[in-house]
Amino acid sequence: MEFWTRTIVANTGPLLEGLRLTLLVSTIAFLVAAATGLVICLLRIYAPPLRLMLSAYIAFCRNTPIFVQLLWVAYAWYDIFAWPKDVFTAAWVALALQSSGYLAETFRAGFESVPHGHVEAAYALGMGRFGALRRIVAPQMLLTMAPALMNQFIVIVKCSTLVSVIAVPDLMFQAIRLTNIWGEPVPILTFVAVVFVILIISLSAASKKLTDRLRARMAT
Amino acid sequence: MLGLSLFWEYRAILFQGMLINLLIFALSSTVGLTVGLVACVGRLSPFTLLRTASAGYIEIGRSIPEFVLLIWVNNVMPVALSAIVGERIRFNPILSATIALGAVASGYFAETFRAGIQAVPRGHVEAARALGMRTPQILRRIVLPQAIRVMLPELMSQNIGLLKTTTLVSVIAVPDIMYQVGIIGQQEMKPLPLYTGTAIAFFLVIFALTTLVDRPASQLQRS
Amino acid sequence: MSVMAAVHPSERAESDVVSNAEPSLAIRVVGLNKSFGDVPVLRGISFDLSRGQVLSIIGASGSGKSTLLRCLNYLERPTSGDVWIAGYPLTFATDRNGSRRNPTAARIARVRAEVGMVFQQFNLWPHMTVAQNVMEALIQVRKLPTKEARSRAEYYLAKVNMLDAAERYPSRLSGGQQQRVAIARALSMEPQIMLFDEATSSLDPELTAEVLAVMRLLAKDGMTMVVVTHEMAFAREVSDRVMFLHGGLIEEDGLPSVVFTNPRSERCKQFLSKFLG
Repeated sequence: MEFWTRTIVANTGPLLEGLRLTLLVSTIAFLVAAATGLVICLLRIYAPPLRLMLSAYIAFCRNTPIFVQLLWVAYAWYDIFAWPKDVFTAAWVALALQSSGYLAETFRAGFESVPHGHVEAAYALGMGRFGALRRIVAPQMLLTMAPALMNQFIVIVKCSTLVSVIAVPDLMFQAIRLTNIWGEPVPILTFVAVVFVILIISLSAASKKLTDRLRARMAT
Repeated sequence: MLGLSLFWEYRAILFQGMLINLLIFALSSTVGLTVGLVACVGRLSPFTLLRTASAGYIEIGRSIPEFVLLIWVNNVMPVALSAIVGERIRFNPILSATIALGAVASGYFAETFRAGIQAVPRGHVEAARALGMRTPQILRRIVLPQAIRVMLPELMSQNIGLLKTTTLVSVIAVPDIMYQVGIIGQQEMKPLPLYTGTAIAFFLVIFALTTLVDRPASQLQRS
Repeated sequence: MSVMAAVHPSERAESDVVSNAEPSLAIRVVGLNKSFGDVPVLRGISFDLSRGQVLSIIGASGSGKSTLLRCLNYLERPTSGDVWIAGYPLTFATDRNGSRRNPTAARIARVRAEVGMVFQQFNLWPHMTVAQNVMEALIQVRKLPTKEARSRAEYYLAKVNMLDAAERYPSRLSGGQQQRVAIARALSMEPQIMLFDEATSSLDPELTAEVLAVMRLLAKDGMTMVVVTHEMAFAREVSDRVMFLHGGLIEEDGLPSVVFTNPRSERCKQFLSKFLG
């Protein structure tokens, strides 16, 4: 037991670095996915001819396993496009790809959840389309979507563990690497597993608190 | 352009790999449903200890990334068990995959079961009791039929998710489709057609399954 | 004035000339038609409403009452026909050559600022407090500074007796309270006309009275109002004029005392008998 504690303590450096990378790649992927999802949602509304193509894109992103997408982006894309050049980029691109499909749907649901009457009230008061969008639709959309957005971030964090396979030095990568160096799987892998569980549970709890607060505020 | 011909060339061995994926799916789904049902019953039980333990198990199952648990089960569990039992134990990678994926799936399934059961309005149960029905009858005739209607779409959707996660198992050397793709890729030095082909293949399969599931799902909801 | 003169004489309808010379006309509707797809909902509606008058529109569901109301602030776009609000054309614009065009979004918004609307579903914005709901359009549309918007909002909230709820969120209010806030929100824009689209139909009977009381007050203060309603008592006691709509046509139009006691239209008689026994 003591040996295990010592092993973990001795390796705090690389493990923390790994955790930092896990969070970094997750955050970048989430932001890119959210931006992409928003653009897709807007395009679907305001550019009808693109709808079929966009639906196909969303279907592809959601129905292809993340691991397949990851290896596809990391190995196949480089073959055609000579990009992404490094594994870190491949990692967040693949994660963003997977989530952009879900988030596009999330934005659409959020958009449709704003009762049309609220928009009409804005128009009736003399507000223009853009003003109503900015002050009435967007805030309500964000409030409705916040839980789903947080949830997707949690999903991304869980999927990010895969990027260790393409040699991105995230927390999982460090754990495996250190295990191989030290030859002691039990302490390090167990510790990292526990860290992940605590991380995800904390994020879920925060998300739940947020959802409850929002529901209390907006309940009719 | 995509040169999918390479993918086609190796289709036999890739298909075998896919069968392994399906095998692991079948095994872990069974484990997941069974353990999930037990966990759900525990979660709803009146005994505090059982309830807390089940809730804890479910929460951990839903929180731990599959990949992390997969590696842990494959590398740590045998060592831990060896220490306890005294003999050297090694896990067949397929066993590890089944345990790991099954455990995570059980967490999600358990919650779906719970949601289904709790979706049955209390009033229906009370009415049944008022009419003199006993608990097993109530469960069988009133609760279960309604609960299943709620649960089925979500369960099917979660199973499709499980099928997607079986792609992970190549990392612990299970000869699934991704593993084969990796080997062939190294041999042929041509990752593009293989990975693209696999992506498309998975997309078609999952998309077909999802579409198949959606129609009866919405029918169920409407009735 | 010159814009009107530039219209070719053969195209100039009589109403074009008349409306411009009638500032006392709050609303003028000429030949209003509205179809949803193939289904005609309004058939050639025409009427004038003077300032300060209260017009109640009654009729069965599907008679086109709400559609007519919503055409008055362009929430529904008429298939044909014209509407003037305070002498200002809503349904068309005339460009420099004098030919007719569709109205611009800016024009529509400008007219809407002069026409207040109260909806059946209240439509208060849930992510803003009561005060913010009332202030929003004052800031965004009237371009008032926040302080002024605030004091105006408080004035009108006080008028509908909802000032203490200023910092609360709509979800915490009863239906009647929400509707009163909605009225304050529309009133604070100080419009020339107020439209009420079945404002009490979503309310429990106990809550209807408080909203009707506010509407009575408005009428007494001389606000020009068009009220689509099922509240026959209100229509009878408060309006200066009642219109009975059926199948998209005005079947009855006159003083409440006449329409309610001795309507000419048989359908109107039948309709009223259901309410007044």
